Order: sequence, then structure tokens, then C-alpha cells
Amino acid sequence: MSEVVVPRLAGADRAVSRPRADWLFRFGCLIVMLSLVLMVIGPWIAPYDVGRPTDFILEPPPALRDVPRLLWLSITNAPREPVYWFGTDSAGLDIFSRVIAAPRADVAIALGANLVSLTLGSLLGLAAGVARPWIGALIMRTSDLVQAFPVFITGMILVTLAGRSIGTIILTLALLYTPIYVRLTRSEVLTQRQRGFVDAARALGRREAWIALTHVLPNAMAPALIQFSVTIGFAILMTAGLSFVGAGVRPPTPEWGLMIAAGADQIVQGEWWPSLFPGLAISITVFGYAAFGNGLERRHAA
Amino acid sequence: MVRFITTRLATTIIQLAGLALVVFFAIRALPADPVARLVGLNASRDAYLSSQKSLGLDRPVLEQLGAYLGIIPGSSGLLQGDLGRSWVTGSPVAEEIARVLPITLELITVSFVIAFLISVPLGMLCGLRPGGVADRITFGYSLFAGSQPEFWWALLFIFVFFAQLGWAPPPLGRLNPMSSPPPFVTGFITMDSLLAGNMAAFKDGVHHLMLPVLTKVFVLSGPIVKMVRQNMVRALASDYVLYARGSGLWPARIAAIALKNALAPALTLLGVLYGYILGSAVLIETVFSLGGIGQYAVRSVLAFDYPAIQAVVLVIAAISLFVYLALDVAHALLDPRIVS
Repeated sequence: MSEVVVPRLAGADRAVSRPRADWLFRFGCLIVMLSLVLMVIGPWIAPYDVGRPTDFILEPPPALRDVPRLLWLSITNAPREPVYWFGTDSAGLDIFSRVIAAPRADVAIALGANLVSLTLGSLLGLAAGVARPWIGALIMRTSDLVQAFPVFITGMILVTLAGRSIGTIILTLALLYTPIYVRLTRSEVLTQRQRGFVDAARALGRREAWIALTHVLPNAMAPALIQFSVTIGFAILMTAGLSFVGAGVRPPTPEWGLMIAAGADQIVQGEWWPSLFPGLAISITVFGYAAFGNGLERRHAA
Repeated sequence: MVRFITTRLATTIIQLAGLALVVFFAIRALPADPVARLVGLNASRDAYLSSQKSLGLDRPVLEQLGAYLGIIPGSSGLLQGDLGRSWVTGSPVAEEIARVLPITLELITVSFVIAFLISVPLGMLCGLRPGGVADRITFGYSLFAGSQPEFWWALLFIFVFFAQLGWAPPPLGRLNPMSSPPPFVTGFITMDSLLAGNMAAFKDGVHHLMLPVLTKVFVLSGPIVKMVRQNMVRALASDYVLYARGSGLWPARIAAIALKNALAPALTLLGVLYGYILGSAVLIETVFSLGGIGQYAVRSVLAFDYPAIQAVVLVIAAISLFVYLALDVAHALLDPRIVS
């Protein structure tokens, strides 16, 4: 009996930690790197000025069968008509240029917000795990309170009332995401501080605060760092969503959510390209960050 | 059990009270000038001051708080169940919210139920054979769907099903503007039209719900499938399933036993998800111009309508916290271990 059952159980246990899908992780790495590169150089390599309209309003993208020929012409630098790879929008702006310039807004906001909340959250989580119980309780109850707020609406309120700048969006998202990191770090700190190396440091007569910062915290960061990738993805979605409803960055900043909103009226009339490409960019980017985070999680569990 | 519910209820109410206070002070601490927004930037100094006076913003903050809470004698506030009057329309906020809230609740509840009905069998199927083909495909789908901009998918669906195929109605509201809405009973269009026996309005209502619900189900199913699958795998690896197998029960019967134990912990997560969806319904409502509480929230925020903003946050937080509480109680009923 047991010979039959044991392998089954082992198989089931392994499967709790996700089926293998390594190409997903590689895809995630690629997208994460691409988005970071575009965040830095995107606006510089854009073929057209992201703020100056071209002479063509709502020019559709070139037909698929023309793409190879046009690509060849542009690689060889041959003289040709101007090409708008993703078409132009209702203001005559080149969509391709704006799509690759937008990570300067979307990815930078998401990254900035998460760096702030990762720093703040892990320090608070550490404090909640090692400091006096009343401090820990205070931090955790505050996190509860912040998490009881409806995320999107609170984001809308804070960003709009504070002036709809990139800085306020970063701070707002940082505030909303901090409790996630507090929770993750605290629970990991609680297990890590029982470990032998902590006792060893204590036996050496180190100060408690020093032990917490140099021994406990670095060992308790893994879950927060894995979450980092996933939360950046969510922050991109939120940034785009906020500007989509008119409570985020201001036009004419090249930003994916704003571009989708600008094309929303055209899509009802069958002009799909102004909204399709920026949305595709969000879709691929956020999925990339999720896949990357998922891969990290599996590696960490293994 | 009674003690469990009482403590949870008390925590929820304290949280709501804290929330009301935080919202009140936060929106007043931010560098926004609602008076200037309401009277316009070119208004005279006198108009500005009189508007400030009529909104009560010239009073000290603590006095404003007293009026908001309703502890100043002669005023009616939160304690009397009064959410105040909108600064923009002048009508009671509670009435306005009662009109828009059912639209959102209808949309997300219908989407939730459908997503749940699709996800549970799917998650079960994957959980029964972890690592199999179905599991891999579903895993990819749930990772993908959980990370998508729903407002963009809504637009794509509009493009395909309205602009190209013509199956769906234009994304211009909850009902055809030409048809007359059923009398307001519950606020849920589908339910009201059935109550009034108005089959045409019912059909129209369902027709207009089609695309928003499709979008929501597409996005929502991802996390739910993942959750059901995870819990199912865990339940199938447990000792009671081993025992059931050893007793020679039918696989279908074993799956049913495991499912009950897999769904119980999923309930708590569903509560969290419901609250999250309620708070972010604004995106889908904006795309389809549904006029629910999400769009009401955007309107109030952009107009700096403080009473409406406070009320929206409070109402949405209250609903999510109570749904969460109800599902926690249901979880406790299914699994008595968590009460102790």
C-alpha cells in the first residue's frame, strides 16, 4: 500500500510549487530589462518628437505586408516616405515614439514608488518584528488601517488633491504599497531571529539594533524582493489606470494610460491603433514583471 | 462562535471609525483649494469668502470635524447616519450614492458569480493533475489574466463585438437611452425590470451588461483559478484524502470531499478580491459609461467635492469590510478550527 501512495504524495507536494515553465522566467527577464532600458533611453531613441504633431492626423499603421519592405528601407537608410509604425493619433502625434518614450513615466513611477515602499516597509517590518511589542502592534495596526482603504479610489483622491505630478503619484503609490512589505518582512523576521547566527552574534555581545540591521534584515529580505517585481507590475497598471480616468499624470506627457484614454473614442468608430499599441505595451510589460516575479519565487522555494 | 463574530464586528467598526477620521484629515491636509475650484479662479474676493463660509470651510478644523461626525448639538452627521450634502449638486450624498451603488454592485456581483462558476471546475481540473497539460495552460492564463489592464481589454472587446461584429450595444450606459428604465426598487436594473415584468428592459439590461461582465470575468478568473488549484492540490495531498483513497471511494467522491476543504480557505481571499474589485470598478465604468459608484468617485474627486469623497471612501470600505467579515464567518462555519 505505502509503495503505491508515497510517490503520489511526493509528486503532489512538489506540484504545490507550480509547474515548471522556465521560458516564462526568461521572457520575464527580457521584458524587465527592456522596460528598464527604455525608461532610460526611450525618449532619446524615439524617431519623432513626442510632443510635436506631424502633418498626418489618424494615419493608420502600414499594412502588414508592407512592413518587411519598409523595414528594409529604413535599415538601409534609403530615401522613403515617413513611416509611422504604429500610426498617428487624433492630434497627429506618432504613436510608436510615444509608446517607447512612455516608460520614462510609467516604469519610473512604478520603480520609484516601490523603492520607497520597499525601504520603508522592510525597516518598519524589521522594527515590528524585533522591537518592543507595543511598537510592533502599533505598526501592524497602522498597516491594517492603510490596507482597509480602497486602493484605487484612495490613489485617485491623494494624487488629485496633491496636484497630479509624477512626484505625488510616486509618494501615493509608495504609501499604499508599504503595508505589503511591512507584512512580508515582519513574518520573515520572526522566523529568522530564532536562527543560530542571531544567537551567535548576541553571544559576541553585539547590540540588538546592530544585530537586527546586519544579520536579521538581510536574511529576511527575500520575500519582499520577490514581491518587488510583482508590485512594480501592479504599480504600472495603477499609474496607467489613474491617468486613464483623468486622475494621474497630465497630458501631453507620453504615458500609456493617457494614450489609451485618448484613443478610446476612436476605437468605437473602428480606428483601433491609437489605443491598441500603448495597451499592448502595458499588457506585455506587466505580464513580464509577473512572470519574472513568479520565476524568482519558484527559484527561492526550490 | 458568537464571541468570534462580536470581536470581528468590533474590529471592523473601529477600523471604519479610524478610516473616517483619516480621510477627513487627509483631504484637508493636502494642498488643494476646493473653494477656488468651485467658484473659479477669476472669482472676486467676496465671492470666494462667501463660498468658503457657505461650505463651512472658514470654521476651525475641529469644528468641521464635529459637524461631520454630528457631535455638535443641532448638526446632523455620521452618527445620525447623515453623509452630508454634495458641494456640487447640493443634494444629499447618501441619496446620490444609493442611486449609483447598485449599478456597480450588480456588475461586480454578476461577474464574480460567473467567474467563480467557471474557475472552480477549472481549478479543480488542474488540481487533480498538477503539471498536466490543462494545468500548464491554466497556469499561464491565470498569470496573464491577473496582470492585465482591464480597461484596455474592455476597449478591445468593444472594438471586436461592437465596432466589428455589431453583437454588443454601444458602450454608452446601462440601458438603451431610448428605452424607459424600470421603476427604482432595488436599483439593480435586471432585478427591477423583472419585478416590473418588463421583459424588454430586462433583455436590454442584460445586453448592456454583456461586455463589462465579459471583461471582468476574463480578468477575475485568473486569481480565482490559481487559488482553487493551489488549495485543491493541498487538500488532495492530505491524510483524509489518502484515507478516502484507501477506503476505495470513487474518484468523483474524493474530489468532492477535497473541494469542500479547498473552497473554505478560498473564501477569505474572495472577500479581499471583492473589496479590491469594488474599489477599482471605476475603470470599467468609465469605459462603458455605466454611471456607478466608481464614476461618481471620479467626478467627486475631480470636483474636490469633499463630502462626496469622504462618503465614497467610507461606503466602499464599509462594504468591503462587511463582505470580508461575512465570508470570514462563512469560513468559520465551514471550518470550526479557525474559531478557536
